[in-house]
Amino acid sequence: MNRSLGLNAALVACIAFFVTLVGLPFWWVVSGSIKIPQEIIARTPTMFPQSFTLQHYQKLFDASAYPVYLVNSLIVAASSTVLTLLLAIPAAYAFFRLVFPARGVLYRTILLAYAFPSIVVLIPLFGLFAKVGLVDRLPALIIVNVAFALPFSIWMLRSFLAGVPKEIEEAAVMDGAPTLTILRRIMIPLIAPGIASVGIYAFVTAWTEYVFASVLILSDAKRTLPVGFSGIIGQYQIDWGLLLAGATVAIVPVVAIFALIGRGFVSGLTEGAVK
Amino acid sequence: MKNILKLALATTMLMPAAALAQDAVEVTLWHMEQPPHRVARVQELIDAFNAANPGIVVKQEPQNWGEVYAKTPAALAAGQGPDMLFAIPDFTPILKDIGALTSVEDFVKELDEKHDFVDSTVEAYSYDGGVWAVPLYNMAMNLWYRKSVLEAAGVEVPTTWDEWRAAAEKLSVDGVSGMGLPANKQLYTDQTVYSVMVNGGATEIYNEDGTLRFDNPETVGAYEFYTDLHQFSPADSTSWTWGEAEACFSSQTCAMVMQFSVIATYDTQAEGDASDLGVAAIPSKDGGEHNTISYANAVMLLSTDEAKMEASKKFVSFLLEPENYGRFLNMEPGLFMPVTADGAEAETFWSDPMVEKYREQIETVIENSQNGRLFGFTSGRTFPSIAAISAQNIIAETLQSIVVSGQSAAEAVAAGQARMEEVAQ
Repeated sequence: MNRSLGLNAALVACIAFFVTLVGLPFWWVVSGSIKIPQEIIARTPTMFPQSFTLQHYQKLFDASAYPVYLVNSLIVAASSTVLTLLLAIPAAYAFFRLVFPARGVLYRTILLAYAFPSIVVLIPLFGLFAKVGLVDRLPALIIVNVAFALPFSIWMLRSFLAGVPKEIEEAAVMDGAPTLTILRRIMIPLIAPGIASVGIYAFVTAWTEYVFASVLILSDAKRTLPVGFSGIIGQYQIDWGLLLAGATVAIVPVVAIFALIGRGFVSGLTEGAVK
Repeated sequence: MKNILKLALATTMLMPAAALAQDAVEVTLWHMEQPPHRVARVQELIDAFNAANPGIVVKQEPQNWGEVYAKTPAALAAGQGPDMLFAIPDFTPILKDIGALTSVEDFVKELDEKHDFVDSTVEAYSYDGGVWAVPLYNMAMNLWYRKSVLEAAGVEVPTTWDEWRAAAEKLSVDGVSGMGLPANKQLYTDQTVYSVMVNGGATEIYNEDGTLRFDNPETVGAYEFYTDLHQFSPADSTSWTWGEAEACFSSQTCAMVMQFSVIATYDTQAEGDASDLGVAAIPSKDGGEHNTISYANAVMLLSTDEAKMEASKKFVSFLLEPENYGRFLNMEPGLFMPVTADGAEAETFWSDPMVEKYREQIETVIENSQNGRLFGFTSGRTFPSIAAISAQNIIAETLQSIVVSGQSAAEAVAAGQARMEEVAQ
């Protein structure tokens, strides 16, 4: 199919517009992080840095607990992602394939947990975790993140499982494969893009979680990035360079994970959409 | 045998240290001074205290103002709360009402005899027959400007509302905003609006019997003036917090701003010429006494354990000693002002390089803070509803009704009082 020059130009203009729209804030943050303080807050903003400094990064890593927050966030987000996937895959398969009483009702009910505002359960959860000694411990955040990510992950994965042709599963059954083998050897490889999507979803949710992390964690050494970082930048007096450097570093893991499994994510989104 | 002897010897040597560590009283301090340099300064003082007091171990856990209101009651209920907690006046009633505080009146009296507190800082925590926190440092709102900018425009430092408006209008040229004023539904706007109110005869928002008197002609007049002045502010000031106002001033986009302090940002992120930085009291309606909003930050002592309470008192006493107090205040030079007479003269306070450089401005700020007021804490009595009124930023919300929604000042103030009565129930 040949497209006219005009149509091509319009498409390129459209793409350029959206790339600029999405990319500009990132460019602003990243380029600002290497400007000197005077240029950052200059009356006439500069799109391209007229100065260069790494002082904000130096301050971020040398004079603040940012590296500690970063490591804590990586532990919490990675653990939450792995645990969510480990629980969501068999649960989604069970809802998809196994027949048990009240399956339909349960399947719909689990989404209620996803719809529940986190602030409502914050204080009771604090009391509960305090009783079992989980306050001010990273596992508390992992449990909460998994609990909130799991319902939507199960829902999403079940849709991907439903997209797998039934004949493939039937052939495996005829060959005598047990349920777990079918899941492990056939279904998981086939829904890999869906798993990538859910993984990214769980990671980003845990990476950006603020409410529980701000209340369940008491000590500075256990803080995750969103909470720790909001404290570093100050209230009455904002160090804009530090803010921009911290924001730049904070998006690196998310960009990295998208770069690694982004292809699977996009394909997963598409497959889920056309089921 | 030789190994057993070695082990026995090592055990004997380590015993006193272990026993000491076991006997040491551990107290936890929660504060909301989270920027790294402030945490580092508090830690320096804690280390010095711990070294001088082997029987006590103080540790700090910095918190965020955004969460501490919800987090503290939950943590206390779960037995995980702090022994000392920094506070502003409207935070204290929340903890007092849940029975987490005991009066520290005698302790404050003892400290007052030794250091002489600024009266208004103690008054902010004195009500219902007790004193509920120990004042630590003060923050007062001021009018900041550049001397060279005012001189170039032929404008005198304003002292009355009329002069203030005229100055803001004259300074609003070539893309510069004459006066940076926030109109966000946020604490900063509460503070700037109240700073205008206290200079227009609208200091009290409660009657003596605890009923609200927010809706009165003086308050309406203050809102009318603020709204009029706000036309000389940048368009995005409806979403400002402190940082944006400071950046506006530092970048010379705003000729004047109301702030607690701009010194640190001006020095590190702008031109940093101390001789050009001007600070004045907030102009009053008719040029009479200049008042301002001031936040007497304090520390609440929460421990129910006698040994921990004594250890906490010892640490607070240590902080207020002039040889330590200046270093404590200068965790953010130019922002935190002394609340004691001997602290205001302390060598440790004035010898900080930044304080030395901006001495003239800091002396003015200290002078201005003497006339500090805080809404809901002005009559010697406080009413529990002030915590909710403050938490919901109703003073700022009232301004937004005028600036954003276009209501008249009289309508918005009447609606503001209705909202206050609603949340007070």
